[in-house]
Amino acid sequence: MTRYAMVIDLRRCVGCQTCTAACKSANATPPGVQWRRVLDLESGEFPDVRRSFVPVGCMHCANPPCEHVCPTTATKKRADGLVTIDYDICIGCANCIMACPYDARSVVHEAHYAYGDQPMASEALRFDPARLRVATKCTFCQDRIDLAARTGQVPGRDPEVTPACVNSCISGAMHFGDIADPGSNVSQLLAQTEHFRMHEELGTDPSMYYVWDRK
Amino acid sequence: MSTPTRSPEQIADRISPRQQVNWDWRAAGNFIAGGSGGGLLLWVSIVGLRGGDVRFVLGAGMALIALGLTCVWFEIGRPWRALNTFRHGTSSWMTREAIVALLLFACGLLALWSGQSLLTGATGVLGLAFLYAQARILTANKGIAAWRHPRSLPLVVATGLTEGAGLLVCASWGSAQLAAASSLLAVLAALRLLAWRRYLTALEKDAAPAGAIKALRRIDANFRWVGNVVPALLALLAGWTGLPAVALVAAVLAVLAGWRCKYALICEAAFTQGFALPKLPVRGRR
Amino acid sequence: MSQAKTVKHVPTFCYNCVSGPDFMKVKVEDGVATDIEPNFDAEDIHPARGRVCVKAYGLVQKTYNPNRVLTPMMRTNPKKGRKEDPGFVPISWDEALDIVAAKLNTIRATGLRDQAGLPRLAASFGHGGTPANYMGTFPALLSAWGPIDYSFGSGQGVKCVHSEHLYGEFWHRAFTVAADTPNARYVISLGANVDVTGGPCAVLRHADARVRGYKRVAVEPHLSVTSACSAEWLPIRPKTDAAFLFALIHVLVCERRLAQLDVPFLRDRTSSPYLVAPDGLYLRDAGSGKPLVWDQACGAAVAFDTPGAKPAVAGRYQVARAVVVDADQARRELLDVEGATAYEMLCEHIAKYPPEWAATVCDVPAATIRRIAEEYLENASIGATIEIDGKTLALRPVAVTLGKSVNNGWGAYECCWARTVLAALVGALENPGGLLGTTVRLNRPQDNRHLSVKPGEDGFMVQHFNPTDREHWQAAPATRNLHQTLVPIVGHNGAWSQALGPTQLAWMFQQERPADWNMPAPTFPELWIVFRSNPAISFWDTRRLADIVARFPFLVCFACTVDETNFMADLLLPEATDLESTQMIRMGGTKYMEQFWDYKGVVLRQKAVEPQGDCRDFTWISTQLAKRTGLLEPYVAALNRGVSGVAPLKGEGYDYSLDPAREPAPEQIWDAVCRAASVTLSAGKQEHGLEWFQEHGFYAVAMSRLEWYLTPTLERQGLRYELPYQERLLRVGRELGNRLHEKGMAWWDEQLSEYRALPEWHDVPARWERELENAGAKIADFPFWLLATKSMQYHAGGNASIAMMHEISGNMHGHTGVIMNAKTAARLGIAEGDRVEIRSHIGATYGKAALVQGIRPDTLVVTGQFDHWATPFAKDLELPSLNTIAPMSLELTDATGSGSDIVRVALRRVEATT
Repeated sequence: MTRYAMVIDLRRCVGCQTCTAACKSANATPPGVQWRRVLDLESGEFPDVRRSFVPVGCMHCANPPCEHVCPTTATKKRADGLVTIDYDICIGCANCIMACPYDARSVVHEAHYAYGDQPMASEALRFDPARLRVATKCTFCQDRIDLAARTGQVPGRDPEVTPACVNSCISGAMHFGDIADPGSNVSQLLAQTEHFRMHEELGTDPSMYYVWDRK
Repeated sequence: MSTPTRSPEQIADRISPRQQVNWDWRAAGNFIAGGSGGGLLLWVSIVGLRGGDVRFVLGAGMALIALGLTCVWFEIGRPWRALNTFRHGTSSWMTREAIVALLLFACGLLALWSGQSLLTGATGVLGLAFLYAQARILTANKGIAAWRHPRSLPLVVATGLTEGAGLLVCASWGSAQLAAASSLLAVLAALRLLAWRRYLTALEKDAAPAGAIKALRRIDANFRWVGNVVPALLALLAGWTGLPAVALVAAVLAVLAGWRCKYALICEAAFTQGFALPKLPVRGRR
Repeated sequence: MSQAKTVKHVPTFCYNCVSGPDFMKVKVEDGVATDIEPNFDAEDIHPARGRVCVKAYGLVQKTYNPNRVLTPMMRTNPKKGRKEDPGFVPISWDEALDIVAAKLNTIRATGLRDQAGLPRLAASFGHGGTPANYMGTFPALLSAWGPIDYSFGSGQGVKCVHSEHLYGEFWHRAFTVAADTPNARYVISLGANVDVTGGPCAVLRHADARVRGYKRVAVEPHLSVTSACSAEWLPIRPKTDAAFLFALIHVLVCERRLAQLDVPFLRDRTSSPYLVAPDGLYLRDAGSGKPLVWDQACGAAVAFDTPGAKPAVAGRYQVARAVVVDADQARRELLDVEGATAYEMLCEHIAKYPPEWAATVCDVPAATIRRIAEEYLENASIGATIEIDGKTLALRPVAVTLGKSVNNGWGAYECCWARTVLAALVGALENPGGLLGTTVRLNRPQDNRHLSVKPGEDGFMVQHFNPTDREHWQAAPATRNLHQTLVPIVGHNGAWSQALGPTQLAWMFQQERPADWNMPAPTFPELWIVFRSNPAISFWDTRRLADIVARFPFLVCFACTVDETNFMADLLLPEATDLESTQMIRMGGTKYMEQFWDYKGVVLRQKAVEPQGDCRDFTWISTQLAKRTGLLEPYVAALNRGVSGVAPLKGEGYDYSLDPAREPAPEQIWDAVCRAASVTLSAGKQEHGLEWFQEHGFYAVAMSRLEWYLTPTLERQGLRYELPYQERLLRVGRELGNRLHEKGMAWWDEQLSEYRALPEWHDVPARWERELENAGAKIADFPFWLLATKSMQYHAGGNASIAMMHEISGNMHGHTGVIMNAKTAARLGIAEGDRVEIRSHIGATYGKAALVQGIRPDTLVVTGQFDHWATPFAKDLELPSLNTIAPMSLELTDATGSGSDIVRVALRRVEATT
């Protein structure tokens, strides 16, 4: 049994958006689409104010509302915890976008490029028409996870099989691994800290944990 | 060179609750036409079971549902893959809506062709099932606070039934069932009003996004009075007096109000709930 | 996605901002750069574990930006101005290089300096010397040339942590200053936005420290990212930081008393025991001229370096006989004179700055100031030690860090002094856990600040001031920013000293000069070369500055895209950029921000993809220019000396030197540099050429962490830090004043007031108000303070035309416009997203309102420096900039020549969002 999860240490995150950029760069998402992004949340009233930086994206829920509502089975939950989208089956109805409480999904209907109508060489090389007019979202860098299954490397420990955002994080806030394994990096971090998950009361059982304090 | 299509302001807006942008008037059209059609089919099937000639209205009900589904077809990203919609009946109410629609059309066309009242009755039941499936689509969408609230279900069902009754009144002009249809409309309008008020109150109590509540409050007064109270009273009057003009006015008001309500629900009050932190991070010692 | 046929991961570095270098790999698919990734091969040697920040991920878009200049361009419109289309037409490299060479050769024939004594050739490079990491062997060409004027700054230096650069290096070889974050327990940060601008190394270290449980108190007018990530935020009134810091000293020195401070450090490592005469000068031994201390052992005044002496740190003492030496060596003998120790002077001086007074000035409650001071003292753990590489050092895990607008402009001398004194009082200066300098730029050698520690006068480190004596003072400026004439402390270390001079004066004095200007009028340089610098965006009064740029006789700009400065160029030269060219640089050791490593070495930037269009490697360009100007021999000689490289190309046991008579190819040069670097680093054991480095990316050797700390080096040489008392600065200031007055010039007098032995509080914010009123405006019309802040996405600003940066920076609240207090906005009827006008007494800039709680009600903040009108993509963003509306002003220039990004403004809504 495996359950891949992400653990984000909010004590460390500085909102730099390096993970946002790394994800865009690794996954060639079009302008306006951010599978990973970092929120800049303020609370309180002057002068007693707090400002938190919160990386969000698909939570790869164990009880994914997107999967329940998807009429085509394009969205599926894998045994290892990843919630995946089969772009070739998806009809782009956006029902899953409505179902997701984390604003994690989007549909792009037309090809757009960073600078006007023509793609740059880097965009042209990686343009994927299969991703147009269907739902897309963070995949936990599925190709890398799948590679790990073949090579025996450990996601979250070995960079080649770890999501790009986690690799890129400069503050050490992002961690990835198998929380079904009590000895994994993420399991140990969770054991040592106080943490929560976003919108837990909605019953989605998300796979992204936010650390906020030591135990 | 032009700036990107989605401005940073639009992207930055994705923190606090905001109106969803993927379902527009076309999706609203499905709920509007489909809901009305389903309600109409239910009520007209009862008339049919009692011996009336309901073929035209039956056809109109199915046409409404078909119109709604056509709207959706034009909205989805990959319309030529539409048949994939049937693949997830085990959990998706959108699949179930499609299955019910299929059965509904088959049953309804058979009813039209054969004139069998049992088939007409079954079509009516399927119409109700279609309406119910639509309401369940909305409540399953946990991303939209105003939809996932349990009280949205009775509201959506109630308005579909009310609109159906209103359309039946329109179709009953000059017929014997006008009075009965008017009385039905009066009762349903009252029930819809009740469902609406309970819904709004619950949304506020459960701290739904302010933008959603604001959008619903914008139509609240008109919906209540012009959309339900006045039609209910007029329909009641028409029920006693049998005056067709009064009934028609009541029906049109009730139907349009329902459509406006659903448009608001889909396109104006459909706010995501944004993000919230139950705990703030501790940054070093205090 | 279609599968690429070939995939490479090419190691390289990013050093686009001063917080680098950081490692990365470029993913190249079928010859196209598609992705940037960390370089985990460097995880164990790099403080940021092989990672690179958000900006580097934009380098793919930079490479393929369709707005790039891809071929040399020549101006066809002889008229220059913001409204004059340059009419750039493409020309060949041959033509372009011939044009430049012709200009250079004319200058060589006419004379390298003009009739005003100023260099005919000027050059400007941006952001803290980082362009040097991208200009190949160009520095070798510059070194072969002769005198060059680097005065026309773009904000680097004067708008940087300027006073910290100069005073920091003076006091403790600290061109930039950092906390010893890995060992810190308590940091007070006044505007040091380290979690935004400190780079991956600082960000990781401070994150580790947070988790470890250190406490950082952030003191600044708005809740920046760094303040957000701190344990406590104090919203101080702008430009009153000195009052806060003085009050902290007051608590330690007046309320807590000497016994609770680090007495041995003060006694042995600072000038605290030095006796000061009533006239403010040191009491000196009549024979040797050495400053006197009171020896408690024998009860008499003795020279400070008398063996066996036990100097008193505090107190007043009668001295039988002494001399004082004033400016211009004016010597006076004093008999039976009372001398106070420098520490005693400090106590008496700071007594008038208690927390209760400071609270009225800086808006931080007195109780809070007192608590912070006591927390600082408690966490300093005086007496604690730590073992590092077999040596026992004092552990003092506290530091006070400063940021821009605090450590530049008026008030910065006071702040830099105060925080360094705070470090000295608890022994944290250049000790583990405490306040560290990281590198030197004005002293040599630049790659090892310890070697720059040599005995100078009075028991302090040697410091090469620009002379202020009658015979040697630079009476007629040799550069257009007058750095040797006006700023003694900036020294004369070539390009760096120049670039750190008052570069705004170079711009201002082209337009008008003070009435009592008695020096040759400054001329324009005949040729001005600009690379990675856009002063028409990044300096002050930028619209007017652009008009001055338009008047330069001939401007050659190395250009990535058209921008606001090269819009006035005569020639654009497109060099191969970050991913398209080769260069080797040093890495590790201790350098800017928090780049202090446990390793040192070299790292290669290499050609990951072929240059776009007809862009050419800067090394090739430099060699071509050297050849065409007859400078090939001195150019190659400079390369052989190690200029543009790492180590000399010839040394003991190795010789990779290049033949000065032959034109070396870029690969040949870098191969030699690689070999010389690896051989010297490995002490002869390993030799690696370019090909090896292209595969491996870098080479590092271990370094002792002892290199982080300067105090042991001073201890070994028996030297002291020149703190707290600035007697030398006092004399230098007097001398400078004498020189200027002898020439009938009083226009620098206000700046001379900064040369005090003990800094006083002067109403710093009021200077900005007075400047405004002197310009004819009414302060009541401009009720708000406008400050600038940075974001990591745009630190250094050279990537304003990168679409992805704009998209993702939108996630930072306020990046789209003007950050203001929500209550203030409500009062003015401004809603979130409304377009607003910020107007100063010289102009206006526009942006969208971003309402927050985390900012003082009297303050507005703008992120980055935008307001472009020429740079493609950036010019369509409609973002505001402080630079457009902040004046260049002599009144707002301090003694070191710096200013601050702060201006008084009015605010109003212009149109609402729909």
